[in-house]
Amino acid sequence: MALAWFRDLDELLRGRKTLPESLAQGKIDLKLGPFASLSILLGAAYGAFMGLFSVTSREPAVYQQLLASTVKFPALFIITLIVTFPSLYVFNALLGSRLRFLETLRLLIAAIVVNAAVAASLAPILGFFTLSTTSYPFMIILNVGLLAISGAVGLGFLMQTLRRLAAAAYVTAPPVATPMSTEYVNGSDDAGADASLRPALAPLPDLRESRNIFRIWVLIYGLLGAQTGWLLRPFIGSPDLEFTWFRHREGNFFHSVWIHFQALLSG
Amino acid sequence: MLAAIRHTDDFLHARGAFAPNFAAARPAWWLPAIILAFTPMYGALMGSYQLDEPERLLQGVYSAVKAPLLLGVTTLLCLPGFFVLNTVLGLRDDFRDAMQAILAGQAGLAITLASLGPFTRFWYFTTEDYRAALLFNAAMFTIATAAGQLVMLRYYRVLIRRNPRHLATLGLWMVLYAFVGIQMGWILRPFVGSPGMPVSLFREHALTNAYVVIVELFAGR
Repeated sequence: MALAWFRDLDELLRGRKTLPESLAQGKIDLKLGPFASLSILLGAAYGAFMGLFSVTSREPAVYQQLLASTVKFPALFIITLIVTFPSLYVFNALLGSRLRFLETLRLLIAAIVVNAAVAASLAPILGFFTLSTTSYPFMIILNVGLLAISGAVGLGFLMQTLRRLAAAAYVTAPPVATPMSTEYVNGSDDAGADASLRPALAPLPDLRESRNIFRIWVLIYGLLGAQTGWLLRPFIGSPDLEFTWFRHREGNFFHSVWIHFQALLSG
Repeated sequence: MLAAIRHTDDFLHARGAFAPNFAAARPAWWLPAIILAFTPMYGALMGSYQLDEPERLLQGVYSAVKAPLLLGVTTLLCLPGFFVLNTVLGLRDDFRDAMQAILAGQAGLAITLASLGPFTRFWYFTTEDYRAALLFNAAMFTIATAAGQLVMLRYYRVLIRRNPRHLATLGLWMVLYAFVGIQMGWILRPFVGSPGMPVSLFREHALTNAYVVIVELFAGR
């Protein structure tokens, strides 16, 4: 069963599950159960590597942090999903996407599993540095860097699929373009003959507008994910502080990254 | 033996089975075999600094073992991320060729290093200064790395022509590999062996972070 999950994940990563042609038919072959489970599994794997720092850097080792990070990192994905899913669904529906409620959920979980898979694939590098580093600021910056890569890939996947869907929505829309308007867009004489094949060309300006909305939405999603991570900290565990499941709610993610960056540069 | 030399010659000239667009024609283990054959040569010479006591010979053996480890373990650590990112960018069908290109780059680095080994040994004859020895090795590694990059590009150019996205994964590989490789070289110390210290496989308390050390050097601590 697990093997079949990974085969599905492989297909997804290769982009075969979100081909423009199959999206155009309104088919979304993204399995909810396997991808949700894999997101948790792969997220937990990366989380464990994150929490490992508290085991290697402290005397005595703090195993609770290892457990906490293993649980909290997948939880980060789930919370981000809960907060962002409703607005994605509503925007998508308003913009004329053919995606129904469940299909939108499938798409978002697919983006999360892509994010988790890239993070897990970078985990060996994190583990290597964890074993050979005592500097807490360095580990924070490294984690931010690795998760920025994986987050960018996950959001890139989401963005690409949303664009394809938007394009597909227009391709499959009832042909509103008359031969005349197609001719106007194409500027060629023989356009009238195959006008029925290319009704997609007419409403291009609208497509661009919806892309901008998606862009803004993806940006919000990314910012929200970073801030959720901030609320759930500690993931790595400062060597100077006692173990706690959560810290006080104060400050924000970006300010903290800047502070740690300065701490790293000043030795 | 003669066959091995002929293969190496083919590789350096990018001819025959080692022609850049001919990856399928050669067994996949040839390039790793080249890396394994040549890196210990330089390692042994690098560790031959101040051979005035018999026990310093051991440093040569240690360095000969650690040099292939440095390349091999770094590659293994970066491979999963490289694989997944290649897949996401839709380059999975070319992955075998990309892997061969990367191995070719390391084989190029290994052969160049080995060919520079005699210079290093000669340098050790002319100066006893430990710092100068370290700097000379750093210079040799820089030259060999540049040569390795050129070899890798020879193979990657074919891939980039096939799909320009390979340029992105190539850049990614270089960043990942350099980032991990620098730290790997740091924790696998000593390669040359400070004359004041006993010969050892690894430094005591070697598990520190190279980047933090560099920052501390600049900050003057």
